Amino acid sequence: MNKRKTTIALATALATSMSMASTVQAETVNFWYHFDNADNPMSTLVDKFEKENPGITINAENVPWNSYYDQLYTSIVASTGPDVALVKLNAQPRLIEMGALEPLDAWLDAWDGTSEIQDNLLELTSAADGSQYYLPVQYVALYLYYRADMFAELELTPPTTCDEFRDAAMALTRDTDGDGQMDVYGFGFRGGKGGHDHWASLTLAREGVGFGAGELTSEGGVAGTQFVLDLFQKDKVFPPSAPNDGFKEVIGAFQNGTTAMTIHHIGSSAGMVEALGDKVSAVPVPECGGGHWTAFGDESTAVFSAAQDKEAAWKWASFLSSAGNNAEFNKATGQLPVTKSDSASWDTHEQRFVDATVNSLPFAQLLPNTTETADFTNTVWPIAMQRALIGEISAADMNAEIDALYND
Amino acid sequence: MSDTTAHQMPLSRRILPIVMLSPAVLVTLAIVFIPMVQALWMSFHDYVLFRPNNFDWVGLKNYITAVNDPVFWTSLRQTAIWIAITVPAQMLLGLVTALLLNQTFPWRGLARALVIIPWALPSVVIALMWVWIYDSNYGVLNDLLLRLDLIKSSIPWLADPDTALYAIILTLTWQGFPFFAVMILAGLQSIPSSYYEAASIDGASPLRQFLHITLPGLSGVLMTATLLRVIWVANSIDVIYVMTGGGPGYSSYTLPLYAFVEARTGLNYGYGSALAVCFTIMLLGFVVLYLRRAGKNIT
Repeated sequence: MNKRKTTIALATALATSMSMASTVQAETVNFWYHFDNADNPMSTLVDKFEKENPGITINAENVPWNSYYDQLYTSIVASTGPDVALVKLNAQPRLIEMGALEPLDAWLDAWDGTSEIQDNLLELTSAADGSQYYLPVQYVALYLYYRADMFAELELTPPTTCDEFRDAAMALTRDTDGDGQMDVYGFGFRGGKGGHDHWASLTLAREGVGFGAGELTSEGGVAGTQFVLDLFQKDKVFPPSAPNDGFKEVIGAFQNGTTAMTIHHIGSSAGMVEALGDKVSAVPVPECGGGHWTAFGDESTAVFSAAQDKEAAWKWASFLSSAGNNAEFNKATGQLPVTKSDSASWDTHEQRFVDATVNSLPFAQLLPNTTETADFTNTVWPIAMQRALIGEISAADMNAEIDALYND
Repeated sequence: MSDTTAHQMPLSRRILPIVMLSPAVLVTLAIVFIPMVQALWMSFHDYVLFRPNNFDWVGLKNYITAVNDPVFWTSLRQTAIWIAITVPAQMLLGLVTALLLNQTFPWRGLARALVIIPWALPSVVIALMWVWIYDSNYGVLNDLLLRLDLIKSSIPWLADPDTALYAIILTLTWQGFPFFAVMILAGLQSIPSSYYEAASIDGASPLRQFLHITLPGLSGVLMTATLLRVIWVANSIDVIYVMTGGGPGYSSYTLPLYAFVEARTGLNYGYGSALAVCFTIMLLGFVVLYLRRAGKNIT
């Protein structure tokens, strides 16, 4: 009898613990994000949310940026993906094709915070099918960082056109200590993954050049890529490591004075000021071939259709884009808030970087909102650019590869 | 063991080895053989991960694409270079190290422990460490060569297509030589000292002793270690992936890396699996050789 009682007690305990476990499981929101900043204060936001929403636990995971999308796509197929994640617009068509995203329209209609999101951001991030799958959480526009002290020393002015940019880069590339070695290079070009924005600013700006059929293979398109290649191969204004350089190398080289200009966004301005103080400033990227192009850096949150508790997932996503919380989030990432009230009271960045961003917005653009863009950024552009830089293929070959990706 | 003895054994005794081996076999089946069969199955399909509902049978199409793919041949050629330089270099360095460590000298125990460090470090740590050593702006290698006046300007070792693969080979040689050193050291200690004593009485020089006693004595160990290393080095992609990602361009692509990038980054699991299967078939020769040797040792 005793034995039977024990068995019943054990079975009850097991059943209770299993049901408790499933309850906890149902109310845990797995959130994926990527912060460059190692001491990011995400835990403060998580604590605040969990206090306001008892019963929901946020499991926030900082996934390394280099393999962020590789991990995201494979985990979705393996059914181990997040419930909510930070996502960029260029991943949206692929995620929709995979059936991975939950439409947010009904939630957005009922949410007070919708009217607080800055004008056009929701429109900009809406999908081709008319639904809204993304909730903007931060944004930036890429601009040109330059070493104000080096420009002053050589009596140069920040470049406004590609020709001025090239002249400045050549003047800034020099051997400062007379040992026969170049110790400063004019421009820190990102030839590795993620560097398409550098190439795009110098190429896509040109009249009639874009991702449409024959546009990149046109004279203007090839001239744009050739301009980049000449800067490296003939003018030698990029560091020799440029073909492999990624985010860390490019930012590190600028901060330690190896390069005098580079392209990035306000997200890195705090680190730049910390390293260089007043010696660093920023202006919009130069105008090239009669046009102006810079990348609009979007970042949103998305609720995944496989989320166990979609309501809880939405609560967390909307929490991050609510006034106040969004400011906290952007203080951590160093980017710009998406809510109207947070933007109005924003004083986190030095004014010169905010000005460079605001002045870049009129010509800031997104990459095409099609499934090919994921391949363009992840594989086609990095490999073609590296091969072109090391002389394995020509500018025309590189542009033809990209044109074929989008238009064949 | 003869048949009669086997029949005389009680059933429990005969089943015992099977019972004890089965957990390991089952785990191996689950995490090695099932994915292998799955990869083979996927290689006959058009399977792109972001279109998970399209899984169309395409027969040998992925294999035909591979044969006509110039990157496949570039990767294969580089894989051959990768194995042909790395394994002999590791073996030679390991042999020299083992011979030195077999001598009697103070702190020999410490030296033997220290030599294992590159082998014990995680590949990612090694890769990152060597990326900094090779760095063209602040790397210690360029600095050293410049100070010695051996080069006139810094060389971007990992960004130059002529040096990238060889720079990684050097890294992997450094990482893998302790494996050979430890294996050879064990082999050296199993050669009876009486052989050397007899040879020196007969007037054999140290070189002749090395050629006629040490090397033949080590041949078994060297063969097994080399076969194992060929298989490991061939499949090793972590160091390449961290150091260059296969770049610049395709300069440091090896076939397993190509299969990995195609599947993981390109999400083309059909083609990626076909590449992996092709390479598995090529490696099978070495695997069979190793299994034969291992089987011989057991019997």
